[in-house]
Amino acid sequence: MPAWSVIAPYWPNLLSGFWITVQLSFWTLLLATPIALAIALARETGPRWAALPLAILVNAVRLLPALIVLYFVFYGMPQFGIRLKPFAAASIGLVAMGAAYMSEDMRGAIAAVPKGQLSAAAALGLPRTHAIRRILLPQALPLMIPPYMTRAIIMVKGTSLASMVSVADLTAEATRASSITYQPYVFLLIAGGFYLALNGILALIQALAERHLRLSRRTAAA
Amino acid sequence: MSLDFSSIPTVVPALLKGAAVTLELTLAVLVLATPGGVLVALLRGAPSPALRGAVMGASWIFRGIPPLLLLFFAFFGLPLMGLTLPPLPAAILAMTVYMSFYFGEVFASGLASVPKGQWQAAAALGLPRHRVLLRIILPQTIPAALPPYISHATEILKGTALAAAVAVPELTSAAKKVFVVTFRPMEVLIVAAAIYAVLDAGLLILQMLGERWSARRRARS
Repeated sequence: MPAWSVIAPYWPNLLSGFWITVQLSFWTLLLATPIALAIALARETGPRWAALPLAILVNAVRLLPALIVLYFVFYGMPQFGIRLKPFAAASIGLVAMGAAYMSEDMRGAIAAVPKGQLSAAAALGLPRTHAIRRILLPQALPLMIPPYMTRAIIMVKGTSLASMVSVADLTAEATRASSITYQPYVFLLIAGGFYLALNGILALIQALAERHLRLSRRTAAA
Repeated sequence: MSLDFSSIPTVVPALLKGAAVTLELTLAVLVLATPGGVLVALLRGAPSPALRGAVMGASWIFRGIPPLLLLFFAFFGLPLMGLTLPPLPAAILAMTVYMSFYFGEVFASGLASVPKGQWQAAAALGLPRHRVLLRIILPQTIPAALPPYISHATEILKGTALAAAVAVPELTSAAKKVFVVTFRPMEVLIVAAAIYAVLDAGLLILQMLGERWSARRRARS
């Protein structure tokens, strides 16, 4: 193992890269989640004119490599006069990717709630938005959490692609430090450790959320 | 500014050459990671708790760090340990390791879907263990494992774009090489995206054929 003296000069860069990765993860998750939920609800409970174009859009995005989507935003958009900073371009690309995949996960959970529930709510005279909010979603939510967290971890790992459109994230800083010092495995291992820590936190949140839902369901049943 | 595809015919050969490398990389990883995944799934059920724990730890690590980092590790890190690989084999190695653990999860749940009694019944009939596995157990895991298997296979296809980062001349890096010359990224990216869509469609057709084949097999037996 090389001395701390090799790592020390690059430690602040690694930390700032890690902070960028945390920010990218935070923003992509924060923006992708409501978009994905809206898409999933529109496709499962909305009218056909909304469901069909969304289905085509989601599947088109899901067919493409994430890197190509990032290239579209970062290299392609300037052709239409939209010039974005690397961080903004990467965020938009990652949100588009994440929302498309996440909406599929959520659709599965929504479809798992028996259709009769909404019909019964309609028969009782509940307004549709009310039925979705108070009947459908509370039942779909517990089913959503495991695939949601799996997707969140995939999205956190996916932020490493931002390094390919010149965002100075953790992966970018680690590779830069490696190519200067010729000590790749040191910096790549450190970066890997940071990513594992981030994903470990997400896994912990998942466990807590699942426990919380189990508890709240038990009190609801009692 | 509008799209102008007039220069595309001149760059299509370069993109198709990239697509060939993408296909080559996808198939190589698919062929190598499939038995790798079976191995991981079997080791997860190994009798030794130390071995089981080691495999699960490795699975957690390899599925927890970005594949891009693994690629850099194979390409830049391994030479320091005395193993210098050209870009394509390095990419194949990194993606095979990564996907083996994903396939391991898929096959483990496939194996779990086969009732334990099948092992015992086959053992009672005096079949050797490896034949039980190959002829009795694995064929029964196919219906449960095939859909997630193919969806991971399309992940491999899309993941090959990462190899652009370690100078493998696959489709995405071919597209970038072209559009930094033509200055019309949008058109080139649209064509590259279309090629990816065609390759994806090929895998989906394979899934449909596979599902029909396994349904027919089950109907016959």
